[in-house]
Amino acid sequence: MTAMTRILIRHEFILGILFVIVLFAMASQNDRFLTTANLLNQARLMTEVGLIAIPMTFVIVTGGIDLSVGSILGLCAILLGVFWQNLGLPLPAAIGLSLAAGTAAGFANGLIVTRFRVPPLIATLATLALYRGLAEGISQARSVRGYPDWFAVLGRGDFLGIPTQLWLFALVAAVGIFVLRFTTFGRTTYAIGNNEAAAEFSGLPVVRTKLLIYTASGFISALAAIVFVSRVSTTRSDMGSGIELEVITAVVLGGTSIFGGRGMVIGTLIGLCLMQILQNGLSLSGVRGDGTTVVIGAVLIVAVLISNLLSRFSSD
Amino acid sequence: MTPILELKNITKAFGPVKVLTGVNFDLRPGEVHALMGENGAGKSTMIRIAAGDHRAEEGEIRLDGDVRRFAGPREAQAEGIIVVHQELLLFPALSVAENVFLGHQPKTAAGLVDWGRMRREARDLLDRLDCPNLDVDQKVSRLSVADRQRVEIARALSRNARVLIMDEPTAALAEADVKRLLEVVRRLRSEGVAIVYVSHRMNEIFEIADRVTVLRDGVSVGTKPIAEVTEASLVSMMVGRDIHQLFPKEDIPRGEKRLELRSVSLAGVVEDISFDLHAGEILGIAGLVGSGRTELAQTIFGVTPATSGEILIDGKPQKIASVREAIDAGIAYVPEDRGTHGIIRAQPLRENVSMAILDRLTKFSVVDTGREQSLASDAIKRFSIRARDARQRVGQLSGGNQQKVVLAKWLATDPKILILDEPTRGVDVGAKTEIHRLMGDLAKKGLAILMISSELPEVLGMSDRVLVMREGRLSAIVDRKDASPAAVGAAMMQGRREPARAGAAR
Ligand SMILES: Nc1ncnc2c1ncn2[C@@H]1O[C@H](COP(=O)(O)OP(=O)(O)OP(=O)(O)O)[C@@H](O)[C@H]1O
Ligand SMILES: [Mg+2]
Repeated sequence: MTAMTRILIRHEFILGILFVIVLFAMASQNDRFLTTANLLNQARLMTEVGLIAIPMTFVIVTGGIDLSVGSILGLCAILLGVFWQNLGLPLPAAIGLSLAAGTAAGFANGLIVTRFRVPPLIATLATLALYRGLAEGISQARSVRGYPDWFAVLGRGDFLGIPTQLWLFALVAAVGIFVLRFTTFGRTTYAIGNNEAAAEFSGLPVVRTKLLIYTASGFISALAAIVFVSRVSTTRSDMGSGIELEVITAVVLGGTSIFGGRGMVIGTLIGLCLMQILQNGLSLSGVRGDGTTVVIGAVLIVAVLISNLLSRFSSD
Repeated sequence: MTPILELKNITKAFGPVKVLTGVNFDLRPGEVHALMGENGAGKSTMIRIAAGDHRAEEGEIRLDGDVRRFAGPREAQAEGIIVVHQELLLFPALSVAENVFLGHQPKTAAGLVDWGRMRREARDLLDRLDCPNLDVDQKVSRLSVADRQRVEIARALSRNARVLIMDEPTAALAEADVKRLLEVVRRLRSEGVAIVYVSHRMNEIFEIADRVTVLRDGVSVGTKPIAEVTEASLVSMMVGRDIHQLFPKEDIPRGEKRLELRSVSLAGVVEDISFDLHAGEILGIAGLVGSGRTELAQTIFGVTPATSGEILIDGKPQKIASVREAIDAGIAYVPEDRGTHGIIRAQPLRENVSMAILDRLTKFSVVDTGREQSLASDAIKRFSIRARDARQRVGQLSGGNQQKVVLAKWLATDPKILILDEPTRGVDVGAKTEIHRLMGDLAKKGLAILMISSELPEVLGMSDRVLVMREGRLSAIVDRKDASPAAVGAAMMQGRREPARAGAAR
């Protein structure tokens, strides 16, 4: 098989085509869709899911899963408000502490998965409940408002004509692409997902790599919390609930195998954009929210089916 | 007599690579037909075509004289063509009985699985295979390789095999288990089952086969009754040239002490092991499967760190608590189970070869793919690995070539101490001599080599000293001049009560 056909049947390539088709279909349906203002606004809206999807790609490539990201987001959002308003800390310090808390939460996930060998699905299902419970306990159903203006720049402002948080997202995505694709860390991530025992027998730092990945997942979830709070300029304890499903959908749609060992950050990015324009385009055309969910589910199934079919030709 | 199974003019290519060209093969009822050939000659591929796993581009398959096309393995199985694959394909979490009847469980009138009957019939099948002490409720993950294989064969029998194809069934077995397996094969033959038997081991072929077919580079070189061939003529049919020396062992002066173990134990598995290993020496470890040889090797390599005792490298005590520390101390380990510990099937050859030295191939932790590529190309040349290129996924290589990849991967670490666990398992005669010669060269360069092998001739032929293990303990260390099959065999068996009931494999 030539290199060209190999590229043509890559999941990421098929997804890219699908993306272009959907883009044109949506644009022809509605003339408010394909405008710079709308697209930039959509990019702003998808940043939180997108940020978390980057470390989630790593997690899923190792053959794991992190269901607790939404709860970490909620917890960190609450902590930000509490540190700033109730404890009277300066906002930058509150941000720093909140980021530290998210990192610690991710590290705890990593410890449970690696040291105690609890399957990631179960470990993070438990911490999903645990972290959300903590968030609700701390917030006592009160919300925090009145953040200073400078803070809103992150979530609602622009930098060089592009939403501020998009720069942050681009940075995280670039780091993700680079690390997974070119470094020993990325190599180890794939090796773990494909054959963990062989990775261990090769002297690769399996435990440390997994620990770092879950920790990064916690840290980025906290970062997403800061962006989220800044964008909506209020803090509530139910923030980010259910976001893990959107994140996982984007990653899997992007061609990462849920069994591990296969996947790329680029794929995740395309998957994410595809999901976002579907949501936006459909709602502009007056389709209700649950209708949109059905469409996204269908697209997910079709994308996975096509790539399975094609990978049969490529495997031998 | 019409052959029961006949392959005519079979051609098969994977992409641009032709693997089989015009292969002919026929199988008569009640015969054992050996299939031989070098690594990558196309034996497994031919078998997969006969079993409906692969479709041939050209040629036909005849069953009882009628041309058939199998759409998939299920159709072939329905006709009684059953394969025991090179890589055993059992479900480790299921019980023996469940594995035997997977996919065709006996049902009750209500359509539910008839557990009682299933267990009874599994029991009967295993008795037929002469393994009365294999428990049908045992989980397969707890069985030794030999027992797993019996389960595979029972599974074949449960489908009323008329044609039983065995792809390197003895590659993973110890001598005693091989004997039992050959017994089973004979019994099946006398019951009228036609058997295709793939193996690289000459003595088995001469013991069991009625006819032999040789494949070379995807072409069938010839089919002969076993009485008309000799070991030498088979080898030259396979490799196209003569191989003179079987064990090219050279005398190398013993260098300084590289590795020393002082009463090393791994609680409950290996007990109180002491020996030393010198530069330029090849120390063989003999023992039955389950005698703790692999466990000892993995203890030295830091997979399961020692619970007591001392390991000294170059005379200095060395703590080895992890694989990383072992590699850094200059130890390399070529594992016994290459599928689960040696290679990553889904990743390219290139990434497999560099895996153990990834940290040395980096600049600011970015993998230097240029150097990696040249490392892989060198390995392909040095070990004559048959692969399309360095980007081919290792899972697509033939079994013996996968083994060469593992060897290349570990020699890339430039070790001082090399532990080889069944280094020639599934490797053809030519490559086997090559590996043996390589071991000699490495020893000459001052490597200290520890070699575990279940093939007694290999241990005796290659080692300067033989360390014999029994039930987790050292039972003897025999010098080369005293190492006779009888002496080593006796040390292996001494005081054993129950024969060939191997401990659980990892
Ligand atoms: N799925 C595949 N895709 C590409 N090439 C393949 C595939 N399967 C096998 N091959 C190639 O076909 C050739 C024959 O392989 P095969 O497994 O039949 O060899 P073999 O005779 O069984 O060797 P061994 O004794 O080492 O098991 C090899 O060169 C191998 O790389
Ligand atoms: Mg084979």
